[in-house]
Amino acid sequence: MRNVTEQDFDEVVLNNAKPVLVDFWAPWCAPCKALAPTLDELANEYAEEIEVVKIDIDENPALAGRFGVRGIPLLMIVKDGTECARTVGTISRSRLDAFIESNVGGE
Amino acid sequence: MMESITFHGDFSVKQEALTKLRSHIAAGTFRYSPAWSEEGADAIGCIVEADDAQRYSEMLGYPLALATALSSIVNAFRPLEKATQYAEAWLEQTPIGADLSKVVSQVLVEVLDEPSVVALTVQQPDVEHSRRSVMALHRRVVDGDAPDRAEWKAIRRAAVAASDMVMDKNLLRSAGAIVEAAAWPASMRTVLHDVLGARGGLEVKQLFDEIGWTDEKESQVYRIREVAETTGQFDGLNGLDRVLALLDADHPELAKGFRQRLEQFEKLGEAIRVVGFRIIELFKQAPVAAEAR
Repeated sequence: MRNVTEQDFDEVVLNNAKPVLVDFWAPWCAPCKALAPTLDELANEYAEEIEVVKIDIDENPALAGRFGVRGIPLLMIVKDGTECARTVGTISRSRLDAFIESNVGGE
Repeated sequence: MMESITFHGDFSVKQEALTKLRSHIAAGTFRYSPAWSEEGADAIGCIVEADDAQRYSEMLGYPLALATALSSIVNAFRPLEKATQYAEAWLEQTPIGADLSKVVSQVLVEVLDEPSVVALTVQQPDVEHSRRSVMALHRRVVDGDAPDRAEWKAIRRAAVAASDMVMDKNLLRSAGAIVEAAAWPASMRTVLHDVLGARGGLEVKQLFDEIGWTDEKESQVYRIREVAETTGQFDGLNGLDRVLALLDADHPELAKGFRQRLEQFEKLGEAIRVVGFRIIELFKQAPVAAEAR
């Protein structure tokens, strides 16, 4: 799962041909840490359909401000350069799967 | 499915792991958490000296989903002495050279088939249908089949949709969450951890339900505690002592219920402990795939 910064966000996320699931997180956030293995596996599960990237909000505060991040973990789906859905807080693997399915669609 | 051969069939791998664990227990550095720190280590950290269940899985030949769930299972054993006994039994009673690749699906079937779970899911035909469908896929895995991604996806969607239809039944919703969490192949590293988390969530609700303790009462206590922060009431007391003093002073009925809630809390973890012991039994029954050397 790729780490994205303020420098390459536009290129990796906004200009991506695939939908992108963006994970806003921070190293001190326990729920973010708990979610990480699930995201890793979903990145593999949906490798054909989406790209999954992570943004450390401590390292990239301008991106957190730009997207109005007020709580983490925040997961955001960007399609064709536009945010189309977000969910904040802990979320089960199956609910996250349904969130991706309903906003991206799969096979 | 990747084969998981315990200790890679090597007696010395098991002995080394047991020695590491026992040295932490003897030194008093076995902990519930964090997995690895200067002060000590949990069941994973004792072996790999890091918070790294994957490395534990690779070093000792346990399926990744079992290694990932280990810390949360040990955490259900209180006090620490019981936890150390379980952690030791986990390693000690795992046969050398056993193939554990079916154990996760076996455990998931058993959790889904628990009478206290079934008693809830049968209240809603769609949730019950999902429970049976998820169990059927895991049973196929146990029988050597490998359901494809589309099959898992279909039952997962159905499980989420079924839970969404449950509006006002708290316990049934929690049972639905177990079914949802189990609707993944056993090769997914967090599947067992997630199912045990959902099972623990149901246990909390069941224990609180027995005494009529609701989310609303929980929120009421939280608000009373918050207000006291601003007014300074009983600020000479800390933690639970302060909460109880606040409730005794102005909300005696709530105080009575809160004390019962605390007593119920002591019982928590039994559902996970039962699963923990079953896992060890399944280890002992697993087919031996490699002769111990």
